Amino acid sequence: MQVRGWHRRGVIAGTGAMLAAPAIAHGLTVQAVLDRMKTRIGTAWFEGGVDHIVAGSADAPVTGVATVMMATFDALKAAVAHRLNFVITHEPTFWSHQDRIDQLQDDPLYRTKLAYIRDHGLTVFHFHDHWHAKKPIDGINFGMMRKMGWQTRMDAQNNRIFNLPPTSLKALVNQFRARLGDRTLRVIGKPDLPVTRVIASWGNCSSFPGIPYLDEADVLVIGEAQDWDLIAYAEDLVTAGRPKALIVLGHVLSEQWGMDYCADWLKTFVPEVPVRFLPIIQPYWNPADPVFEINTKV
Amino acid sequence: MAAPARSPFMPRHTGPRTALQIIEQVVKQTGAQGRGQTIDHVSAGDPLTAVTGIAVTAMATLSGLQRAAAAGQNLVVTYDPGFWSSSDSLDGVEGNALFIQKRDFVREHQMVVFNLHDHWRERVPDGLNEGMARTLGWTMPRSGAVFDIGETTLLALARDLQRKLGGHTMRVVGDPGLPVARVSMALGNAAQMPTIALLNGPADLVLAGYCREWEAVEYVQDMIASGSKKAMILLGEVLSVEPGMRFCADWLKTFITDLPIGHVPVGEGYWSPSA
Repeated sequence: MQVRGWHRRGVIAGTGAMLAAPAIAHGLTVQAVLDRMKTRIGTAWFEGGVDHIVAGSADAPVTGVATVMMATFDALKAAVAHRLNFVITHEPTFWSHQDRIDQLQDDPLYRTKLAYIRDHGLTVFHFHDHWHAKKPIDGINFGMMRKMGWQTRMDAQNNRIFNLPPTSLKALVNQFRARLGDRTLRVIGKPDLPVTRVIASWGNCSSFPGIPYLDEADVLVIGEAQDWDLIAYAEDLVTAGRPKALIVLGHVLSEQWGMDYCADWLKTFVPEVPVRFLPIIQPYWNPADPVFEINTKV
Repeated sequence: MAAPARSPFMPRHTGPRTALQIIEQVVKQTGAQGRGQTIDHVSAGDPLTAVTGIAVTAMATLSGLQRAAAAGQNLVVTYDPGFWSSSDSLDGVEGNALFIQKRDFVREHQMVVFNLHDHWRERVPDGLNEGMARTLGWTMPRSGAVFDIGETTLLALARDLQRKLGGHTMRVVGDPGLPVARVSMALGNAAQMPTIALLNGPADLVLAGYCREWEAVEYVQDMIASGSKKAMILLGEVLSVEPGMRFCADWLKTFITDLPIGHVPVGEGYWSPSA
């Protein structure tokens, strides 16, 4: 099997890389970085969420920090290529929100991915809840606002709402395509709908809070929602003649520039090692525009 | 559930059939009765309403209800919910203007909405899979759940599906040039562990409806990144369900002959600027 053969080579290469690693003079560990994050997030660190070390160790010496939207296999390869062994990921590594692994113990891909992490001395930290809880503003929201160039557009009463110069739904959609490189976004609403007030709920957004959000603006922008909840509601709203629209960007593209901001934030208090945001690919293509971007080199 | 024995002292029912009577008949015909928990239920309307016709649809959207009413079909059999959550939970929507409008439309037109979801999937074979196979001209597998569709490529298959299912917003994960011959279906909601199991089976490709981006979508990306020759197509919920519900309308006609029966297409709700 191709995977098995690669895996054996991976073990050997990984071992060699670890032996060759130079002694780290600054002595920075994963735990030290986490401790600094905890004192700067602006809110009390809480238990019970999904933020945790998914793989690797708190004691591991840090050669560099990679921030990523989702710790896909591709993202891990990129971190290794950049010699960044501490991966801070907003979304899961093992394919569920909680990174549940109880049912995956015999899963070949789980074993391969975990072996890759171990062989390359990586530590992966799931940084979801606290990055959203960052004060004074959700870290993802801030990074996405920055990417969209909307810093001066934020509503005084609600930091999810942006008051834009009057435009149309179609023009706004094109703005997202251009800024985010989004080729698989999907839209509900009339293309010529006049738009000035946009409410953003980056990432996943269900019927609640999505339904009340749609009351507050012309357009709601989200990452993803189930087709039979918020999406269906938006469709019915449009059928009923309400001047509303919903833009569904895809989860990754709707949040990932929040992790670009995360890298900038980390740089202000982790001066010893390189810190870098590594963008991941958008997972999909549309049949009108086929592309293949996944790195299959093993 | 066995029908109660008719009392010799009760007159035989000769009036128009009620929604409840039709629903009981439909559920019985699926052969999937007696399951435990189910989300199949009457989600709107009075189940004792006399049925004038049956509209079968993928999702009971407002537009679909309007078209069913215009066609004089007041029993709506739907795969996906009409009130924007899988259980049609009314928590939070009861004071909502759109909810009131939709509920009142159902009342004014004396409609009944029945969610036929779990029983249609537990029918043997799965009603959605059989409907999709019929629409695409694929042969049902003799055993197992893998469709042998003949050698093609991922891109050619995606374009063929787009043509046959009428969509523009399908999303594909994988190498467009990947040879594809074996397909597994995870129509509707492609849940995490069942979809991971299908991806680890003999199929080259999993044909799904909706799937969370941080679950099976990430999994198939990682499979490909680790060297496996796999792919996934996300049709979107409605396009993945619609052929199965068109087939459901045809299936109803085989045992309900006294009422008009039609399929109400919903289509994908989205538009895509790139297509």
